[in-house]
Amino acid sequence: MIENFKINSKEIDKIKKISKVERDFRINNLNLFNAKGFPNKKQEDWKFSDLREIVQKNFKKLNVNKVNSKVKKINLIKDFDHNYIVVVNGELKSSNFKFEDKNRVRIKNFKNDNFLQENKDNPLIYLNHALSDKGYDVEVEDNYKFKKALIVYNLFTKDLKENILNSRNKIKIGENSELHTIDLVVNDSKYKFMNNVYENIILENNAVYKNIFIQNDKNEGYFHKFSKNKLSSRSKYSAFIFPSGSKFNKLDLEFNLEGEDSECILQSASFLNKSDHQEIKTKMNHVAPSCKSYQKVKNVLGSDGKGVYQGKIYVKDIAQKTNAYQLSKALLLSDSSEFNSKPELEIYADDVKCSHGVTSGSVDEDSIYYLMSRGLNRKEAVRLLIDGFLNEVVDMIKSNSVKKFVKSKLQGQIHGY
Amino acid sequence: MLEIKNLKASINNKDILKGLDITIKPGELHAIMGPNGSGKSTLANVLSGKNGYEISGELKYQGKSLKEISIDERAQKGIFLAFQYPTEIPGVNTNNFLKTSLNKVRKARGEKELDTLSFLKLLKEKSSELGIDEKMLSRQLNVGFSGGEKKKNEILQMKVLDPNLVILDETDSGLDIDALKIIADGVNSSRDKKKSFLVITHYQRLLDYINPDFVHVLSNGKIIKSGCMELAEELEKKGYKKIN
Repeated sequence: MIENFKINSKEIDKIKKISKVERDFRINNLNLFNAKGFPNKKQEDWKFSDLREIVQKNFKKLNVNKVNSKVKKINLIKDFDHNYIVVVNGELKSSNFKFEDKNRVRIKNFKNDNFLQENKDNPLIYLNHALSDKGYDVEVEDNYKFKKALIVYNLFTKDLKENILNSRNKIKIGENSELHTIDLVVNDSKYKFMNNVYENIILENNAVYKNIFIQNDKNEGYFHKFSKNKLSSRSKYSAFIFPSGSKFNKLDLEFNLEGEDSECILQSASFLNKSDHQEIKTKMNHVAPSCKSYQKVKNVLGSDGKGVYQGKIYVKDIAQKTNAYQLSKALLLSDSSEFNSKPELEIYADDVKCSHGVTSGSVDEDSIYYLMSRGLNRKEAVRLLIDGFLNEVVDMIKSNSVKKFVKSKLQGQIHGY
Repeated sequence: MLEIKNLKASINNKDILKGLDITIKPGELHAIMGPNGSGKSTLANVLSGKNGYEISGELKYQGKSLKEISIDERAQKGIFLAFQYPTEIPGVNTNNFLKTSLNKVRKARGEKELDTLSFLKLLKEKSSELGIDEKMLSRQLNVGFSGGEKKKNEILQMKVLDPNLVILDETDSGLDIDALKIIADGVNSSRDKKKSFLVITHYQRLLDYINPDFVHVLSNGKIIKSGCMELAEELEKKGYKKIN
């Protein structure tokens, strides 16, 4: 059991070739983390996910040392053509952009050049800024539309055991450019480990970004990701997230609609079973006029599954004609399932359209009766209803081959129920 | 096919069926008419195995008691209930649902499960027989269906699953003449020596198209009168109050 987890500044000395500014930045963040430790439920943002307690309960130790990240073979998806990058334990290993004009895309290891202290009271961001020394940095030039999707294979190797990984990624999409990515998590570790990611995505004017995030194999990982997303004028961002299967998972997503007429759509579907604990926290910051945001978060919770959705919509005084919507739906399958939802609206403009809704309930008995009267047993009927509940989100994916792929991933999980 | 003796059913301590007797032989079509609240839908629910009812009396299907048999097993053994209000099930594709359902029933009968291709062929055949637009079947189950479409979908399911005992619970309510004809054609084209039908209805209208062998009047949880088509005509003229 870890009582008081602190990190020695020697860990920062192990990171080679850094300037004094960078070292100071890292030390500063290290001190901030050490002063706070892992966040607990006394912090408003963590009131439903007491990470300190979770870490204390589940980890005897946490190792910040480098891990072996060698991977012999990757099983690429054969369902559709795609470009790809391979990230192993947070480290960029290889990339393949065979369907694209290589002069228009840049990819390299992430190297931080912004040492301004982030004003976010999240100890995990401090921890990340102190220790992260790997990740990827993708840049798409102006006026370039990707021909095929880019799959990011996020592999976690079987060498991982009580490690904590910190990595930073960045994607920048130039003016009038378009990129579709699929984030796929593949986990080979049978042991507990933590993964702490800081992500930065920038959409320049008129840029289009579509992302599908799939993490659904049952695993022993404890995940945290903070994602900061910038939307410039008339840019369009669409995110589908299908996270589940982890012991702990918190996605903290911040979208800054900074340019007029930008649009952000976030849709999510999760099946949380057998003591999975997952939180999706969003902050939709409308800081420019005439922007649109739409969020739909669906969760199915099995026995002892715990789901959290904290969604905030912030509308600045100048962000007139904002249209923001947020909906959370939860399906609880057992008396021991738990779902917490905290919608928040903070509005300073007077000509806006903002709404939110939350529903949670158990499976509809009339629907079960109807399906059983057609020969399905109770379990099959419930499964079909779960499938239907989550498929409403999956069906919004436009590409048929991708939709089929996502469905098969989700179904594999539901059939284990 | 179906033997019911002194059937009593109550829900939440409220007695609804109070000693009902009816026997349906293979190949017969029986109609049950009765005023609101007489227990018609309860009878349909009890036959399908719906939970929540206290039941006593004898309930035999193909010579065996139904008492311990669950809803899904009854369906697999060939009992089919066309719902008065078919449930809307968001996210579930009608085609996929029907395929799952059919294969469950086929498996129980000891038949080979159908693959997608042969299933779609069968579905196409049955829906064109009924004059049902196939587009309806790629939509979510009953979601956004009109009243008529929902009832047509029930009849299509009946056709596809090919049951032994069909119970129609006010399938004719709220239908226009064209839809009513589709339902009646569906029933008539399914009738044979082996199949039995129990048609629950308020009106004589449907019976004009399907010609029942027997007509029963259900009132206050009991069959109070049985006869043939003339009884339905009499009811239509006089109303339920004057029958006794």
